[in-house]
Amino acid sequence: MANDDVALAVNNVTKRYDDFTAVEDLSLAVRRGRIFGLIGPNGAGKTTTIRMIVGITAPDVGNIELLGRPVNLESQNRIGYLPEERGLYKKMKVGEQLRFFGQLKNLAPRAADEAADRWLEKLKLADWKNKKTDELSKGMQQKIQFITAVMHEPDLLILDEPFSGLDPVNSELLKETVLELKAAGRTIIFSTHLMEQAEKLCDDICLMNRSRKVLAGSLREVKSGFGRNAVALRYEGETNGVLDDKELVASVKDAGDYMEALLAEGADSQELLRRLVASGARVTKFEEVEPSLHEIFITKVNETS
Amino acid sequence: MNKLLAVVKREYLEGVRTRSFLITTMLGPLLMLGISVLPVMVMSRIGGGTTRIAVVDQTNRMYERVRDHITRDNAEATANRRNERTTRGGVSGARYELEQVALANNSLEETKRNLSERVRRGELNAYVVIPPNVLENGKVEYYARNTSDVFTAERMRNRITSAVVEQRMSDAQIDQGRLAELQRRVEIDAIKVDGEGERRDSGSFWLAYIVGGVIYAMVLLYGNAVLSSVVEEKTTRVSEVLFSSIRPLPLLAGKLLGVSLVALTQVIVWVLVSVLLSLYGAGALVASGAEFTLPRIRPEVYVYLILFFLVGYFVYSTCYALVGSMVTTAQEGTGMAMPITFMFVIAFVLTTPVISNPNSSFSVLMSLIPFFSPIIMLLRIMTETPPFWQIALSLLIGFASIVGLMWIAARVYRTGMLMYGKRATIPEVMRWVRQP
Repeated sequence: MANDDVALAVNNVTKRYDDFTAVEDLSLAVRRGRIFGLIGPNGAGKTTTIRMIVGITAPDVGNIELLGRPVNLESQNRIGYLPEERGLYKKMKVGEQLRFFGQLKNLAPRAADEAADRWLEKLKLADWKNKKTDELSKGMQQKIQFITAVMHEPDLLILDEPFSGLDPVNSELLKETVLELKAAGRTIIFSTHLMEQAEKLCDDICLMNRSRKVLAGSLREVKSGFGRNAVALRYEGETNGVLDDKELVASVKDAGDYMEALLAEGADSQELLRRLVASGARVTKFEEVEPSLHEIFITKVNETS
Repeated sequence: MNKLLAVVKREYLEGVRTRSFLITTMLGPLLMLGISVLPVMVMSRIGGGTTRIAVVDQTNRMYERVRDHITRDNAEATANRRNERTTRGGVSGARYELEQVALANNSLEETKRNLSERVRRGELNAYVVIPPNVLENGKVEYYARNTSDVFTAERMRNRITSAVVEQRMSDAQIDQGRLAELQRRVEIDAIKVDGEGERRDSGSFWLAYIVGGVIYAMVLLYGNAVLSSVVEEKTTRVSEVLFSSIRPLPLLAGKLLGVSLVALTQVIVWVLVSVLLSLYGAGALVASGAEFTLPRIRPEVYVYLILFFLVGYFVYSTCYALVGSMVTTAQEGTGMAMPITFMFVIAFVLTTPVISNPNSSFSVLMSLIPFFSPIIMLLRIMTETPPFWQIALSLLIGFASIVGLMWIAARVYRTGMLMYGKRATIPEVMRWVRQP
């Protein structure tokens, strides 16, 4: 996939700390202008991978390329990073803080000020520019931290758990902003262990577990390739044992308002519908459901642990 | 480079804006003023009154001489007060008023009773009885309500001694002027011999101690500021964002420079204030006729002073940065930084053997070690100037160690940040330094 379409390529990267292997033989291709979900349980190696991408540590084996060139000091200026462990200077005023972080990304002081003003306006924080950071609420500080990651208009934006600690209103604001950035052609890596969010935002995903990649591809491919067919089902009356036919239905689970029937291997959902109708039961709900990312996550993590 | 400057600027502005910086900068000169000027002022105010002393002179020959000496003291005290400063401690501003008490027809016991009564009533501060045989056994009695006022007792002792000695000499028919001339002491005119010939260049070795003292004071005052500034990003968790934008070495160097500029700002304010204060004082001293002798120093020595000051200050404060990179909280670091100041004490202890033998191989070795060179090499320059290559080598080693220590600190800092939570042990630190 080494072509113009790839913004970031991680090639056979391994990273060890003493006798612990944090990342083993990892390869990723993050496509330009898309949101790439890096998902996995705690300790899977997500943060180590991100740290190698942003240049905090170097891989022991393998290499990383941003826009076709190996990552270096220069590429740090093209990346924006919102780490999971947030950190701002508490005694600094918001405006000065943003100018400082802008300068660290090679913005001239004035350009940094302008970008800071624009973003403070956009995230509804303009009134707080001259306040000290520790006077701000946790959510506001998080938005400030987000600004430090995006103000220099990076080609690649890395967001590690960006929604933790945000209220629903601010979560929505942040989500819209991220989608706007995507529309503007930026590439975004989104690391999380919250599958609902990954499912809503990501175009592509990579699932890591125990230092390794266990699943990768577009969300569509991953879901359809997961090889699991389930049907959400609600009916009235008797089914004459259709659901007990192991040739057709592997298992039935009560999902509250409805039932979830997991089809047996090779079984067709249309066959099930026909048999149900023929049995005389009154079918009020019949819907093919895709496996949720959450289920894929749980299954895959359990398989590989 | 721009990033380094941004770090320096941030660190500097943060430093000078803190309340503690403002307070210490303002209070420093006040404190200096308090320590140096206030006791003198208080003493001269207290001693400014008149001390009344009665003298019972049973020899009938001594009173005049004692009074002459005291009168001279009083004239000096008045002159001093006119100049609004005192040269020899607080008591010189005090005035003495003598009063001769004749025995008349009263017995000595009766006179003493009367005088004691007057002392008790506060009319007199003290009285002295000079017995008839004072010239032979040299004993006088001094009665005072406050015998612990040693200044007055001491002054009376000195003045009566002078009077008695004069009287004895005059009795023995010895000419005092002649005696003083015969007893005049010799004076040492120290002339330094070195490669460039002979020069009067004595008494400048104390400059090495002053530079050492200033470095020590600065390190004590600001070492912990360097340490906590390095620890700051770990406790606030800013380091992860920082290291995604800037390498650890320029970051640490920027922080060290920023804090040092804060220190420099404060020291400059203090120096300016004390120069102003002492100009005022020195002006008064010159007006009173005192002579100033500044040691004559070759111009290149000033360059050495500045260079070795920089080596000393940065070697020690980089050590604080290194400790800061190893620990997780500033409190933890303060304890670990203790041995650093210990090195300083060693440097001062080393001055004694070096000053007596500045060109021994021991002295040469010690003057090359960066922890000691600022004091030891300066001391050697001031005493027996060593060959230029030694000075250059010492400076080179000094500046190289600063860069080396900085580099180690940067590696330790980065690796320590990645595996945060606990303090680094020495073997871990060694391993981190070797890690890519």
